[in-house]
Amino acid sequence: MRVHVYETLMAMQRSRRDVLKGAAAATALAASSSILSSTPSFAEDSIVAQIMKIPGAGNGSPTDADWQKVGALCLGPTKANVKQGEFAGVEFSFMGLNNQNLHNFLFRGFLTPWEAYTGAKIKWIDLAQGDYNARLQQSIATGTADFDILEMGAPFEGDMGVKDLLSEMPGWVKTQIDFDDYVNYLKPPVGTWAGKIHRVTIDSDCHTINYRTDVFSDPDLAKQWADWKDQAGLATWGQPKTWQQVQQVTKFLKGKKVKGKEVYGFLDQPKPWGGFQFYFTGSRATAYAKYPGEKNWLFDENMKPLVNNPAWVRAIQDVVDALPSEPGDQINADPNTTAFQQFVTGTGSLLEWWGDIGTFARTSDTATIGEVLNFDILPGSDDVYNFRAQKWEKLASGPNHAPNMAYLGWGIYVMKSVDADPKRQKAAWSAAAHLGGKDLSMWTAAYPSGFQPYRKSHTNLDLWALAGYDKKYIGSYMDSQSTSYNHPNSAIEPRIPGIFQYYSIAEDELQKTFAGKQTAQQGADNVAAAWEKLTDKLGRENQIKYYRISMGLT
Amino acid sequence: MTVNAAAGATALAERDDAVAPRSFARGVGRAAIYALLIVWTVVALFPIYWTLSTSMKLGRDVTQGHLIPWVDFMPRWKGWQSLGLSPDTIFNTSNVREEFLNKLINSVVCSIGASAFAIVIGSLAAYGLSRFDYKFGPWRNKDISFFFVSQLILPPVVLALPFLVLYKELALLDTRIGLILVYTLMVLPIVIWVMRDQFDTIPMEMEQAALVDGCTTWGAFLRIVLPIALPGMVAAFILSLVLCWNEYFFASLLTGSDAQTLPVMVASQTGSSGINWWTIAALATAAITPLLLIGIFLERYIVMGLTAGAGK
Amino acid sequence: MSSGRLEAAHDEVLPARLSLGKWLFRLASGLLLIVATLQIVDTAGLVSIGFADWRPTLYAFLVWCVALAIAQIVERGELGRQRLFVLPALLFTGAMVIFPTLFGFSVAFTDWNLNAQSGPHFNGLDNLRTLWADSYFWNALGNMVFYVATVIVQYVIAFGLALLLNANIRGRKFFRVAFLMPFMLSPVAVSWMIGKSLTENRFGPLANFARWLGWENVTFFTDPWIARTTIIAMDAWMWIPFMVILLLAGLQALPLDVKEAAKVDGASTWQTFWEITFPLMLPVSVTAIILRTIFELKLADIVINVTAGGPAGATDTISSFVYREYRDRANVGYATMVAEVYLVIIIIFITLLLSVANRYVRKVT
Repeated sequence: MRVHVYETLMAMQRSRRDVLKGAAAATALAASSSILSSTPSFAEDSIVAQIMKIPGAGNGSPTDADWQKVGALCLGPTKANVKQGEFAGVEFSFMGLNNQNLHNFLFRGFLTPWEAYTGAKIKWIDLAQGDYNARLQQSIATGTADFDILEMGAPFEGDMGVKDLLSEMPGWVKTQIDFDDYVNYLKPPVGTWAGKIHRVTIDSDCHTINYRTDVFSDPDLAKQWADWKDQAGLATWGQPKTWQQVQQVTKFLKGKKVKGKEVYGFLDQPKPWGGFQFYFTGSRATAYAKYPGEKNWLFDENMKPLVNNPAWVRAIQDVVDALPSEPGDQINADPNTTAFQQFVTGTGSLLEWWGDIGTFARTSDTATIGEVLNFDILPGSDDVYNFRAQKWEKLASGPNHAPNMAYLGWGIYVMKSVDADPKRQKAAWSAAAHLGGKDLSMWTAAYPSGFQPYRKSHTNLDLWALAGYDKKYIGSYMDSQSTSYNHPNSAIEPRIPGIFQYYSIAEDELQKTFAGKQTAQQGADNVAAAWEKLTDKLGRENQIKYYRISMGLT
Repeated sequence: MTVNAAAGATALAERDDAVAPRSFARGVGRAAIYALLIVWTVVALFPIYWTLSTSMKLGRDVTQGHLIPWVDFMPRWKGWQSLGLSPDTIFNTSNVREEFLNKLINSVVCSIGASAFAIVIGSLAAYGLSRFDYKFGPWRNKDISFFFVSQLILPPVVLALPFLVLYKELALLDTRIGLILVYTLMVLPIVIWVMRDQFDTIPMEMEQAALVDGCTTWGAFLRIVLPIALPGMVAAFILSLVLCWNEYFFASLLTGSDAQTLPVMVASQTGSSGINWWTIAALATAAITPLLLIGIFLERYIVMGLTAGAGK
Repeated sequence: MSSGRLEAAHDEVLPARLSLGKWLFRLASGLLLIVATLQIVDTAGLVSIGFADWRPTLYAFLVWCVALAIAQIVERGELGRQRLFVLPALLFTGAMVIFPTLFGFSVAFTDWNLNAQSGPHFNGLDNLRTLWADSYFWNALGNMVFYVATVIVQYVIAFGLALLLNANIRGRKFFRVAFLMPFMLSPVAVSWMIGKSLTENRFGPLANFARWLGWENVTFFTDPWIARTTIIAMDAWMWIPFMVILLLAGLQALPLDVKEAAKVDGASTWQTFWEITFPLMLPVSVTAIILRTIFELKLADIVINVTAGGPAGATDTISSFVYREYRDRANVGYATMVAEVYLVIIIIFITLLLSVANRYVRKVT
């Protein structure tokens, strides 16, 4: 349903039922689409099928008008729970990111029809990603938190949770957004604090490996690889499956060319990024450090840092070893440029990144490697460090894999302060539920939005095909995503208060290490020492308690 | 090296109207002046050209370092499209454009407001410090001057919490007036310093004469000194304006939506999904345009210093 | 340049006016005191009046300021009118900074970390001790020495450009506006468009240019010294116009007759510059250098955006280090202490610089 059609209908002041009838029974379809889309096929005229064609892959990045169209089409579930104009007079503010005019700008578009229907008005507070963490912490500390709805990453749940600032999700929201459809790792304890559900998930995060098929099927390289002395188990040239192989491949590819263009192996992200860089080091370490059946990998259950154990030191050393084989100035490459500037335009052949690169490579006009991109879960390791036994072990099952659920995804949260007024509370949660709606999420997963698939129903490849995706391509993409999400040995980060402080300190020390100012062991020891100090400062007893809550340890 | 050459060049140029026998040397000197001028113009303008042209590029044109439109790359409205400011989107509704215009107006109001306020109270203070001996308790002129300058020194980041608390209590968060006050504080020391220098170079004889004729100190200041000091005031105003216009830290800290300014929007163009070069470039270009106009318009007031100086 | 002050006739103040002024001032002070007390009592919860915010106190303060100004004139006549020049700026600055300053000093001696459950605690000199042992601080301070030292190079370039612009040239307006342009770009935009695009290792035109010049392995941000130089070059590119404007305004204000006289005397251009222009320009030059130095000491935006202090702290500045501590790590107490210590260092440094500069100016003129 187009916005202007909708508005015309409003102007004609029809009754609610008439509007629905006039608009091709959108509600009915929206309700049924939730059943349909979980099966491999879909109804041709379902809402989700309609929105997936807006604007269609190959038609450039979606615009504001597209977002509004999608938002209008997905209003069905809202209409089922909210009467038209029910929230007239309600005004609340929404704090979120302005990430390259995505995030909050998408939300604005999606919520414009919602506002028109419900009568509520939203004031937008946009933050640059670099300001987000600081602004949030400072608002909380000074009592200047003037927002009612918040777009927030799961790692901050600890900060908000311990101060009891979040509203609990009402039951009707849980039904409206089809909570059970979430992939498993996004179900409690993630999204909850002390047993209460707070989050409408709109995104899921995990690092996967992205690789170039042209490089790893190049016959010339295959010939040369046969002569490479240390193949680390990669007998025939192809995509490396373990970090040991990644290291060798990276060294091997230095100075090599594919189709006349210089090609590199793995791209590291050594530059600090306000805490986010640590995820990349983490992803290099999980296969070494996350022992199957053990939940702890960053700290042990008493918050003793594990970051300076041999597994982490090896991961850090790997970066140090690989950097000379990577492009010049890589030590200062912004993490986001490695993905969106180097990798998608043909520099480097292996990259760990969040899921959005797969959709970005196809739907954005920056990318040049859409055709030769493939995906897999993070590389494994031949051996894994058992920190309890303090020794390296080779598993009988083969290489150890441990996908890193870096950042756990964005979510929409409602502040507890709105609970006082039931009308406001319902309005805020209705807005959140609209953004976390099932149909809408399929669209954000497929198009440039900054958000990744996070529902089981997102594995419906037929829907992706509607957006113009090649089924084989997207099948591999969804495979890497869902294998990671459902992996029995996935590494979940602790959502303790101040987690980004831990990361930020680590980044500074790590970059010193990467630049060769100290050994990997020294760097790791410094990180561990700084973390211990920080834990003391934040209150060790509480931190241990929250660590256990957040990791689901009892 | 530059100074020597340039100094020589200046003097040479000034002798232009005199009958000079060594016309060849003069010609070389003039050529050197223009060569230097052009070299620096390239240095100054190339990055700005790069910015402007990037706003017309697709992603792959940026990442392949294309330079010349129509030769290297086809200029597109990419960056302007994303702001809703390209010819094909300008008549459609666009949330982004609305945000942009809203922030543009905030930037205009805040920077002009703050600069004007700072120029008024700063010039007064500078004149006072230049002309009179003050005694506020143990404080003399030197101490007062230093008090003002010392406000420049503290890294603004540590003012984050105090200002958040202060502004919350005064209900100034996310208001233009709040931003104007902070910006005035920020540029006031510069204005006072620059203007005190200006007033110091203006001879006192004329004011003294006016005072003897029965004029009040304020009358003498307004009628005699102010017109002479105008070029300096314009220079100080331009400096303040630019500093306020581009201020990012407080803008991101003290505003949320109503009073947010342009630099915050520029900074938002980078994040976990890469960098929108074209949008940054378009925003930077759009943001520099009003300043450019002001530069062109007010530049002649700085030139006026010549005539004012000649009158001395 | 404070030799000689403006002399004005001091009018006689009658006792009646004197007491009127005093009463006016007392009345306003009383009002301010009452409003402020009421608000404090209300905030403390002793009495419930229900103020929404502290605006009433703000308004009472504004009234007090006006009363103070009027009282000055009424009480002191000419002296009051003279004070009136500097009063608005003083009152404004005082009002704006008093709270942040007190707040800052009280926070600097606490262990306040925003994520800590227990809030701030006074911890005496602990922060100072931490600072003394903090290698990041000393590293950044070392970098600052380099950054500040380059101000003199920037000044020389700026002076040269100002002289060029002051020459009798065609297209003067174009060149002046063109030279001013870099200053107008926001630091955020400079960081991205130049720091990350123009100098980009693979496609950046500057990198290509360097390659064309024969630099083989072009990296602007890997070697510590090259990285520092690149950062300062970007910063200088932005700020040189600032100095050019100041110096140009100074050149414009130079009395022409002095130069004319020199010319008649047959002085060479070099002599004219060195013996007349340069000494006359000294006060403006000192202003330009001091202001530029202060801004250099606060260098942060470009470093934060382009290198985040890296590689391995090679480009770190105190401000960017404070920024990381204060924002990324919410380590408010310690970061404030670092900033306060830095403030003291700068004040000492600037005072020294000023006295040296003044002595030099006096020697030359």
